[in-house]
Amino acid sequence: MTRLNWVKSHMLAAAVASAATFAGSFALADDVGQDRLLNADKEAGNWLHHHKNYAATRFSSLADINKDNVKNLKVAWTMHLGGVEGGGIWSHGGLEGTPIVENGFMYVTDGWGSVYKIDAHGGKGVLLWKMDPKTDHDWAGAVACCGVDNRGVALWGNLVVSHTLDGRLIATNKETGQVAWQRQVADPDKGEVITGAPLIVKDMAITGVAGAEYGIRGWIAATDLKSQKEVWRTHTIPGKDEAGHETWKDDKDAKASGGGSTWVTGSFDPSTNTIVWGVGNPGPDWDNEYRPGDNLYTDSSLGLDADTGKIKWHYQHTPNDPYDYDSVAENVLVDVPGPNNTTQKLALEADRNGFAYAIDRNSGKFIWGLPFVKKVTWTKGLDPESGKPVEYDPKQGVQRYNAAVTPSRTNKVTDICPGNMGGKNWPPTAYNPNLKLWYIPVIESCNRITVEETTPDKLKKREFFTGGGPSQPVKITGSVTAIDVTTGKVAGKAETEFPNLGGILATPDLVFSGQPSGEVIAYDAKSLQQLWQFNTGGGVNAPPMTFSVDGKQYVAILVGLGGAWDKWFIDATPELKRMQPGSMLYVFAL
Amino acid sequence: MKKNWLVGAWLGCALVMGFIGTAQAQSASDPTDAGKAVFKRGNCVGCHKWHGNGGGGYGGDALSLRKTELTREQIIETVTCGRPGTGMPFFVRGSYDTTKCYEMTRQDVADRMPPEANVFLRPNEIEAVADYVLARVKGKGEPTYDECIAFFGDGSRVCNIYKEAGHAAAPSDQSEKAKP
Repeated sequence: MTRLNWVKSHMLAAAVASAATFAGSFALADDVGQDRLLNADKEAGNWLHHHKNYAATRFSSLADINKDNVKNLKVAWTMHLGGVEGGGIWSHGGLEGTPIVENGFMYVTDGWGSVYKIDAHGGKGVLLWKMDPKTDHDWAGAVACCGVDNRGVALWGNLVVSHTLDGRLIATNKETGQVAWQRQVADPDKGEVITGAPLIVKDMAITGVAGAEYGIRGWIAATDLKSQKEVWRTHTIPGKDEAGHETWKDDKDAKASGGGSTWVTGSFDPSTNTIVWGVGNPGPDWDNEYRPGDNLYTDSSLGLDADTGKIKWHYQHTPNDPYDYDSVAENVLVDVPGPNNTTQKLALEADRNGFAYAIDRNSGKFIWGLPFVKKVTWTKGLDPESGKPVEYDPKQGVQRYNAAVTPSRTNKVTDICPGNMGGKNWPPTAYNPNLKLWYIPVIESCNRITVEETTPDKLKKREFFTGGGPSQPVKITGSVTAIDVTTGKVAGKAETEFPNLGGILATPDLVFSGQPSGEVIAYDAKSLQQLWQFNTGGGVNAPPMTFSVDGKQYVAILVGLGGAWDKWFIDATPELKRMQPGSMLYVFAL
Repeated sequence: MKKNWLVGAWLGCALVMGFIGTAQAQSASDPTDAGKAVFKRGNCVGCHKWHGNGGGGYGGDALSLRKTELTREQIIETVTCGRPGTGMPFFVRGSYDTTKCYEMTRQDVADRMPPEANVFLRPNEIEAVADYVLARVKGKGEPTYDECIAFFGDGSRVCNIYKEAGHAAAPSDQSEKAKP
């Protein structure tokens, strides 16, 4: 190296270093506002949104851990968390959250909604504070259909924003861990609870609700974080004068208790100011003769105006659903090249009904759909134009689809595939924008449904209103399934012994996921060949994420099997009965 | 000074005595408290709910203990042995192995073997929970606020909906603001 080159290179290095310092200090000094949330992916080492970014891709560009060295990934540090205790009908809590990381500080929640702030600098984790919201265990736990769960926090200003199972939105001071304010958003007296993480859009916290098994009427609500007042609340089941009310054709006012919950955090398209959010099953779940009609907007993806909550478009996947096939999943917003040099602006959703859908996120029009599970029995397939199940008959109030297997008052005990947990439940997908591959955490399943004819007198506050129930005579397995979004075809499937109950992280050449039997696994992003695994000894029921601090990349995941599986579905995976309740954070590094 | 100390000691002693006296009085007044504790510890609540009505849902259909016609002996047998072919677990170590249940061994019951409970109970605990079900649950109508409070105490809002009127629904923003 000549002297001149030496000087040049060192000057360049100094300039880069100073720019980095400037960027770092700028970020450190800054509160989390809409600009940073819009540009979350520019902060490569941070993970600011529940789904990483507004598009919900759960893709991180960090690549220090890659396919060549991932075999050397080891535990860097761990931390025991709390919240394992039971309450209501639940004997213990579990962990389903995604950690949020900002500038080396991590924020995680346990099942009862306690928030933990952890300093992740220096290759170790130090707990700085814990905010315990003192959730009313019996009040909330008695009407949580599917576990003592909390999926994480959001950041806004100098506050950590979180939910509790007993229906509160809580803002906690990021530095002190003291509660700044809280607001009751959902009402457990009506069977409403909250399990999802908030989505922050333009100084509002967007909240979804759970409770479709308890006869709620679902909604999505926006709270102004400055005034702490509600800005809008959009019911997912139309009122009597609203469009869509005609899709409830019964004479019992079924829509007043028609379900349509919204318990998975949605996504946001800033270019059209549209929040995209999924809606759950109608109630009663399995007796669709109680509620003839398409039952809008259950089992639909909704596009909502962010300022008013007004429904701009909807796409319904399973009209008059008799299977408990929620469409509550996150919609992943991606742009791919279309025909004639156009760009397709897609919303991708992997539905509980076993089909993956791409719809035009500006219009709600169907683009393509395909089964992502190995076995679908409830329909022969989707109409290529409309995307509706081919047996769907809009002239019929009560849909039978493949009548031989569909639960009904005349077919009271029947096996369906996918089972009612769905081909994919809440665990999130991930999308690699370089490879245009979309990875789905799959439950490869069938289960047995027993229908119970429902009458209005069965509707009681805080009691199950399901019109039957599932049992598990068939072994259930899982997979990570990749879909090529440019073709709408399955590009690969890595099968697993157990269902995927945790979700996916994508990095440039890796895919991370876990198993309820304890393993955290890294796959090659293209081939889905397994490259690394580590057994945590606890059931993985949460998504992995990645971040960097002090210039070093880490992968983090919460471990502790809870949720619906180990109470309601364990008979399909008897080997998992040995898994012990737990509450633990694992952090890996090279 | 010494006198003051004596008075203090006497007061403290009286407080302790008073506390013990109250605890004894409570347990004497409700002999089913021990059975209620077993009902909670055995996680009967997980399927039958606190009120015993059970009901369908994600976990199948737990039978109503309020509408049950089982006798004390039958309740004891059901808790001891579970119910073959259902989710009702057996609560006694050795059921179907060292002790036959419904005249059956584990081999006889085969794939209808009920699940093993998360806790095993002693015979006196099973008698206590059967007595609790007979006294407080079997034959009762719709659950009431008083029953709910007797089960949970008043530390939770779980009994709100059984109040006749005036319970807190969705509170206003102001009242929910916590002090920083």
